[in-house]
Amino acid sequence: MAKPIVRKPKKKSNPLKAAKITYVDYKDTGLLRKFISDRNKIRARRVTGVSVQEQRQIATAIKNAREMALLPYTSTTR
Amino acid sequence: MRRYEVMVILDPDLEERTVAPSLDTYLNVVRQDGGTVESVDVWGRRRLAYEIRKKTEGIYAVIELNAEPATVKELDRQLGLNEAIMRTKVLRPELHGA
Repeated sequence: MAKPIVRKPKKKSNPLKAAKITYVDYKDTGLLRKFISDRNKIRARRVTGVSVQEQRQIATAIKNAREMALLPYTSTTR
Repeated sequence: MRRYEVMVILDPDLEERTVAPSLDTYLNVVRQDGGTVESVDVWGRRRLAYEIRKKTEGIYAVIELNAEPATVKELDRQLGLNEAIMRTKVLRPELHGA
């Protein structure tokens, strides 16, 4: 009998709470860079460990920042 | 009246000190229509994350203002007509959780 794998999810520290941020500003590139990968993709929520609402705010902020050339779009070249 | 935040990217070939006065002439539209300009923050020259019009740099400026929607629309239209302005963005901060 295979033992059912019970994996306890590790509680991630919320990086927004740590920085005491209530408003995700698209101008704050230093903060937003924490939420993009080295390929400049937006990191998934399971990686970032923020709430649904916060993840959405972060995603919009990153997209706004990209439009204003504050952050790069994803690099497809290898 | 609503609060807006307008970000502008200007051509890097411009003189940085002429930016604030020239932006101010555009902001007269806001003042004439009964709006108020809270602040004009010229960031100065900054590297772009990607090229815009073959330029790798841009002069950034952020304007905070209170105005009617139609006024801001007109402001954005006028800014867009200027060749020296590479890009604009109008945003209502309160819609983004502020």
